Amino acid sequence: MAGLELLSDQGYRLDGRKATELRKVQARMSVFAQADGSAYLEQGNTKALAVVYGPHEIRGSRSKSLHDRAIINCQYSMATFSTAERKRRPHGDRKSSEMSLHLKQTFEAAVLTELYPRSQIDIYVKILQADGGNYSACVNAATLALVDAGIPMRDYVCACSAGFVEDTPLADLCHAEESGGGTALALALLPRSGNIALLQMDARLHQDHLDTLMEAAMTACKEFSKVLDSVVRQHLEEVSDLTRD
Amino acid sequence: MDSSVHTSLLERIGDVVLPGDLLFSFSPPEAGDANPKADRLICGPGLRRSGAEIRVCRAGVLKHKQPNMYWVNCQQRRYVPAKGESVIGIVTAKSGDVFKVDVGGSEQASLSYLAFEGATKRNRPNVQVGDLVFGQFTIANKDMEPELVCIDSCGRANGMGVFGGDGLLFKVSLGLVRRLLAPQSDLVSDLEKMFPCEMVVGMNGRVWVKARTVQHTLILSNLLEACENMSTAQRHTLFRRVADGGI
Repeated sequence: MAGLELLSDQGYRLDGRKATELRKVQARMSVFAQADGSAYLEQGNTKALAVVYGPHEIRGSRSKSLHDRAIINCQYSMATFSTAERKRRPHGDRKSSEMSLHLKQTFEAAVLTELYPRSQIDIYVKILQADGGNYSACVNAATLALVDAGIPMRDYVCACSAGFVEDTPLADLCHAEESGGGTALALALLPRSGNIALLQMDARLHQDHLDTLMEAAMTACKEFSKVLDSVVRQHLEEVSDLTRD
Repeated sequence: MDSSVHTSLLERIGDVVLPGDLLFSFSPPEAGDANPKADRLICGPGLRRSGAEIRVCRAGVLKHKQPNMYWVNCQQRRYVPAKGESVIGIVTAKSGDVFKVDVGGSEQASLSYLAFEGATKRNRPNVQVGDLVFGQFTIANKDMEPELVCIDSCGRANGMGVFGGDGLLFKVSLGLVRRLLAPQSDLVSDLEKMFPCEMVVGMNGRVWVKARTVQHTLILSNLLEACENMSTAQRHTLFRRVADGGI
């Protein structure tokens, strides 16, 4: 049996999207009352929940604290029911640890940690349903949670995945496209300044194609930033309407 | 600061601003300028200067106070200590001549045993671990440990010190605290009409309430927590139902 046709002759993908078309994004902020900031984000069938605590005192050993800036502590986990086959270890495995490290590096580029020396900011992200683009869903959800927590940031962080099929760059990959064996690139961008917070690529890609693939990912990130903008604006307008005495 | 820039900023007052937004770029004062300090702009919380630009670093509503102070009003739950603010703290430890007080910030504040009215080396204040204290910050710097005192500049307690034998302590958002501490707060006056009570409000989001009965105290705390996400009309409806005994 032949493999799945990721891109049809008419230029449509498995789920009916065009090559650079993004999945539908829905998001909510302030989903938990007890946390300092929280957000829920759906990116197609990928669903992520992010919670932020801090800046607070460093837990455990005080020797870990930095005198000039805050520590960002990230924990990524996947719900046991998030994939088709039940996950044995929701977090703590090698893949989750790697993702936690990527998230930490991403948000250290965006959060103004120097405003909170000897402090810690905790970001917990859980994937409730996985259908590709887990990293980008986590980053986008965590950005909304940080905004909700009122933690000062240089800029939003928007992330998107991109792939390459038959000389065509695809933006915002779903699970079938990610697991198709082709190149998958994850890019986190600070959209207003255009700075790249994190760039990661699996598999090999010819150097000539890298620019077009990155361009597709950056364009998608800027589209995501518009969506996140509208979510934050809507949330803030609701809140300011309620608190206007 | 150029008056056209000032006008463009004033047009954005009340607008929602987001992290990374550029509020404006300014040019350095020219040599011929008479008084560059007169046009100085004061950036409050949520705004930061990077080079010749003023950028937003928190999402919220842009606010302005005459003549030239700007800040971003955002719904934040975590408290960051600021000098002169009155807070409710919980004594967590006694180390030597200072008490360690948890104020809900990024680190514990220190409170000297001499920072109470009438306290001397001989006459030490009766403060136990777990006590609630109402005090204000004398030092609140990101690079230094915060310091609390329970006396004003004249050495008087002025309502500060250890309190709260009974009553209930709970936490609300910093936005609600600002509404409670507003000079003519509708919220506080409405609550006082229903249930006469003692209330201590700290800028760190902690509120202590004590009414005549435990039942009234619990009702008050629940009402305050409910008010956080209610419009004025919804609040009046709820208070009317409570006053009529509907809840």
